[in-house]
Amino acid sequence: MSDPTPEMLTEVLSSVLEEAAFFMIEPEAVPDRFDGDVFSATIDFEAMRGGQLRLTASRNLARNLAANMLGIDPGDPEADEQGRNALGEILNVLGGAFVTRHFGTKTPFQLGLPSVADDHPETRRATCAAAVRVDTGDLVVLELDLEPGR
Amino acid sequence: MALQLLVVDDSPVTRKMVRRAIGLCGLDISEVHEASNGVEALERLAATPVDLVLADVNMPVMNGIEFVKRMAADPALSRIPVVIVATPMSEDRVEEILDSGARAFLTKPFRPESLRDLVLEILGPQGGGHV
Repeated sequence: MSDPTPEMLTEVLSSVLEEAAFFMIEPEAVPDRFDGDVFSATIDFEAMRGGQLRLTASRNLARNLAANMLGIDPGDPEADEQGRNALGEILNVLGGAFVTRHFGTKTPFQLGLPSVADDHPETRRATCAAAVRVDTGDLVVLELDLEPGR
Repeated sequence: MALQLLVVDDSPVTRKMVRRAIGLCGLDISEVHEASNGVEALERLAATPVDLVLADVNMPVMNGIEFVKRMAADPALSRIPVVIVATPMSEDRVEEILDSGARAFLTKPFRPESLRDLVLEILGPQGGGHV
């Protein structure tokens, strides 16, 4: 089985953000680093190969994500309160979408629980990464760390 | 007859999303209860029986599969249908979930109409309210 490509990761990220969060998406180059206040969410998976997905986005994106998912105004205080949880939930959906897309639905797999930190992630070398800009103007970056093939 | 539902998910955002879908799906719902894991859900059901449960799989304390098994083993709860609402899973995992006693599997994200159709299929038109 070949390694996932940035294009595949972009497709998964775009379709989940479009279908689950109702954003309009434009693919972008993956930035070297993320400036400003961000949330960084991670989820581990175990299938034929184990690994971790990491989703990084600004607090403004998280607020708008929560607003879209809950059907409330982005200015509603609840959108701000639930931004962190919304990012974790969208990564949970991304995890399932990525693993079934890459390994197929016949391969048994386990997803961990999403964990969200309100800080810049430590710099790591991802197997591959994808970035998209959503219609609020915010950038979303999805990185994949995949264990070596067995 | 208006329905009472129980939404079981550790994510408060997901519980609210499911609540929103329930509100938009056109079924006659009188009350939506919430629990954040299987243990809490069993406690809630002991106090307040419902017509249908919508539960996640991937939860701390007690996951959805264990929760469904506990419900199936309890004569007082085994008649209550459980729909698993979760991220995409392998065919084996979905089979395991259905074998454990869940009535259906609904993949996130889902449209309110999909939820309505599933509830009508499980509970029949009398559970459908004013669709």
